[in-house]
Amino acid sequence: MRANGSLVALNKRCANLNGRDQRLNNRSMEMKLLKIAATGLVFAATSASAQTEITWWHAMGGQLGETVNQIAEDFNASQSDYKITPVFKGSYEETLTAGIAAFRAGEQPNIMQVFDAGAATVIGAKGAVIPVQDLLAANDVAFDINDYIPGVRYFYADADGKMIGMPFNSSTPILYYNEDALAKAGVTPPKTWEEFASTTGPALKEAGYIPLSQSHLPWIFTENFHSRHDLPFATNDNGYNGGDTQILVNNDAIKAHFSAVKDWKDQGLFEWYGTGWGDNAKPFEEGKVAMWLGSSGSFGGLVQKVDFPFSATMLPYWEGVNAEPKQTFIGGAALFAMSGKSDEENKATAEFFNFLTSPEVQYGWHKETGYVPITEAAYEVAKKDGHYDEFPAAEVGIQQLSLPAGDNTKGYRMGFYVQIRDVMNREYGRILTGETDVETAFANIEAESNKLLERFAKTQN
Amino acid sequence: MADLTQTQIAQPTPTRLRFKWSAVFDHLVLIAGSLLMLMPLVYAFVTASYDPVTIHREGLALTFGDQLGTNFEKALLEKGGFTKTVDGMVMLKNSFILGIGFAVGKIIISMMAAYAIVYFRLRFATFAFWIIFTTLLLPLEVRILPSYEAIQRLGMANTYSGLIVPLIASATGTFFFRQFFRAVPEELVEAARIDGAGPVKFFIDILVPLSRTMIAAIFIIMFVFGWNQYLWPTLITTDESLFTLVRGIKQIVLTYSDAAIPEHGQALALAIVAMLPPVLIVIFFQSWFVKGLTESDK
Amino acid sequence: MKRAGFTNPWLPILLLVPQLSIIVVFFYWPAAWAIQSSFYLQDPFGFGSTFVGAENYTDIAQSVEYRKVAWFTVYFTAIVTFLSLSIALLLAVKADNVLRGAKTYRTLLMWVYAIAPPVAGFLGIMFFDQSHGPLTRFFGFFGWDFKLGVDYFDTATAMIIVAVWKQIPVNFIFFLSGLQSIPRSVREAALIDNNSGVRRFWDVTFPLLAPTAFFLLIINITYAMFDTFGIIDTMMKGEPGANPMTLVYKVYLDGFRGNDLGGSSAQSVVLMVLVLVLTIFQFRLIERRIHYT
Repeated sequence: MRANGSLVALNKRCANLNGRDQRLNNRSMEMKLLKIAATGLVFAATSASAQTEITWWHAMGGQLGETVNQIAEDFNASQSDYKITPVFKGSYEETLTAGIAAFRAGEQPNIMQVFDAGAATVIGAKGAVIPVQDLLAANDVAFDINDYIPGVRYFYADADGKMIGMPFNSSTPILYYNEDALAKAGVTPPKTWEEFASTTGPALKEAGYIPLSQSHLPWIFTENFHSRHDLPFATNDNGYNGGDTQILVNNDAIKAHFSAVKDWKDQGLFEWYGTGWGDNAKPFEEGKVAMWLGSSGSFGGLVQKVDFPFSATMLPYWEGVNAEPKQTFIGGAALFAMSGKSDEENKATAEFFNFLTSPEVQYGWHKETGYVPITEAAYEVAKKDGHYDEFPAAEVGIQQLSLPAGDNTKGYRMGFYVQIRDVMNREYGRILTGETDVETAFANIEAESNKLLERFAKTQN
Repeated sequence: MADLTQTQIAQPTPTRLRFKWSAVFDHLVLIAGSLLMLMPLVYAFVTASYDPVTIHREGLALTFGDQLGTNFEKALLEKGGFTKTVDGMVMLKNSFILGIGFAVGKIIISMMAAYAIVYFRLRFATFAFWIIFTTLLLPLEVRILPSYEAIQRLGMANTYSGLIVPLIASATGTFFFRQFFRAVPEELVEAARIDGAGPVKFFIDILVPLSRTMIAAIFIIMFVFGWNQYLWPTLITTDESLFTLVRGIKQIVLTYSDAAIPEHGQALALAIVAMLPPVLIVIFFQSWFVKGLTESDK
Repeated sequence: MKRAGFTNPWLPILLLVPQLSIIVVFFYWPAAWAIQSSFYLQDPFGFGSTFVGAENYTDIAQSVEYRKVAWFTVYFTAIVTFLSLSIALLLAVKADNVLRGAKTYRTLLMWVYAIAPPVAGFLGIMFFDQSHGPLTRFFGFFGWDFKLGVDYFDTATAMIIVAVWKQIPVNFIFFLSGLQSIPRSVREAALIDNNSGVRRFWDVTFPLLAPTAFFLLIINITYAMFDTFGIIDTMMKGEPGANPMTLVYKVYLDGFRGNDLGGSSAQSVVLMVLVLVLTIFQFRLIERRIHYT
């Protein structure tokens, strides 16, 4: 998701916050030195012949972009054979479109960052990208999908489980809560939606708060709703097997959920501030809303912005739907190696991926941005380093991604999914503003999505 | 209505009194209108004096904070991007190149075309005119992907000409000049021909000087248009050294949906920097601009 | 065509070549591409495609949402055009009335002309911010719980206000020049005939301004339909959701954001036809006026 935050900025700007960050600052420096030292050792044996230059188009603006630049600089400093140049190409959608236009003109970058909703477009175009697993194998970089955190493994994989895109900024939806607010209301963070509706919500309302808001209805209340409850989201194994996929969003569980959400809104237990991410996060940051469903990657940003103690817990579920909730999957974006490049450049891309997935780099990225580390090894490093003793909330996302898997928890693969999400957002907005009812809205979403899927299937011949 | 008329002379006192009241009212309306137009800019300028956290928490402000200098300095001089070479000054330069290049290119090309259409006996003049005319049909937003492919095939991506030339495709300038040339008295051409002046000499010595205000007005309009482009520069430039101001602003505004605190103080400072050159040009050359604008529709 | 033209055979062609070649490469080729791809459904990367005949067009015709967007475009265009023209006309008449300061007012009122649409949209977002936008507070004072990005009507209102604000200067400049070019003798004659300022305006001044107003009408319609793109794009904050949008934004959304090249191309072609009609109308209007002057 778009959520992100940066402890770099934290280090720079909020030197007086909670007194925690000075230590963090020092540790960050240590890590950086360690990182450079470690990578320097690994690549010490490389020769100083002509450099192979590769480009990386990404959608990470602001502070995140700075962190991306730092990673690229570290890679360039770690060896002398390859040089990577990251280029910020605007939003996720703009980056994907620019990449497509460039590909058609034969000017594609070596690496392109593609977000979750665009995955089907880039993976569906057979021959546009080199599967990352093949790329690494061809260049003698060891790869084992089981090194990756369970919730991360298959989202950008094909039907056979081969990893196509390298997960990069990965996050998952979790529930943040204002500790003061919960203490004042005398409640604990809710595990289930039943608990929220009967206990947590009313108590928080009583205490003078708006109990809940969320920042991405399709991602949190639809895609991950299905995963958490292990419900099928689309036919053909959530779309991974391709062909004539139909969306299964018009089901009783989710309709009951949205009916409940609308009721909560009417009762003052939930508020919706529009489709934009930040608009829904802001009332939580301001202390008006007691609990907020956001991204695990929002953590770093929240530390900067709020002046009350907060923590996080896993995404609540309906006990009545599934008493044994499953893992969620990742949102965010992945890095794809574009085809049509020379062997030397592909080698450079593989080496960069190798660098990127090293535990040190992953841990640095995790710590500075709040996105989850994608490998178990990096998770171990983070644990050993005591990161989670200091920031327990930073671990919630990984724990949730590591819960037991179900049949429907690896993700989804649907074409024109950007538009499908837009349709969902539109209909959900209308439900919440009372312009339409739940039945009509879901019938519309189903019909329009299936129309889009049918159209997409025709683009793939 | 300054001049005293017979009506006013017939009934001097009440009319004058009424006129005074209406003048006060006129000024009030104009002051209200000016405030309406300018207040947002005042807000923007004042708010640019705060740090991002304050702006994020409190929004627009009308009393100055203490970060004005810092924000402008950061916006203009802080090297950003991967290559650490892009700052506000570089973007300012690029915006100038885009604005001036587009305006000059458009004026030269469209003047030539309009001259050919208006002053020559040409069998396909009407046809050529319609070919040019239909370009108003398709704004760049709508034909952006194929235009990009064309630029790539011509090897013009990441060049200033690639940035400028496709924007020139629209024919607005040709129309303005065509209308203007048609209003030029025909005797001029006849006189020139009697003097033995050829088409090139007539064009350079008579028509161009005659079109001065028109050229100035179109220059201003086109400069502002080119300066303010966003979507096209974003798509075709991957080289950081080619980024323009409007793109730089959008880049900061884009983090709006992110959880990180957006650098809105810096964005506002940059917005003011981006606004100044076109505003100053419009204001300093306003008489030409106004004259050209209003003549163009004749 | 001038009667007293030159008859050089190659010079005009030479003069036309730069403009025509740019147009062919960056206009006709893209337009042909749009028309062609409107009959296909194709993978954006260019690997697969299916010829679907007129399916993209029938899909548009049957889409309830497309119709909603089309209607919004009509309302939006009508309201933006009406408001920006009438406010500018009011200000121009007042500026023409006052003895002193007309030029100062003109200078003050021109500033906004130079602002980039995305920047205008950005200011709009801050002014209509849900928790502390000055205009949100202002509306709240009257009991209007203004919610940008939540309420369809409120969002449309905010977009209209920003779009009107951005367009007033151009209209003002045109109207003021139009007013100032009305001969003094006409004004004096009008003063004798008619005592009421309001009646004088509608009976004498306005008809003389009509040509300018007509020209501006077309300019404003094109502005509201196309040039407000940057404003709308910024005010959506990257998520269209249930927000109002114009037809050109929808083309962008489906084609540029959603990579549905066929559907978006078909919408482009629809827009092209629409603008063609508008252009012919404008062309005839201008041509007729030239005969009069």
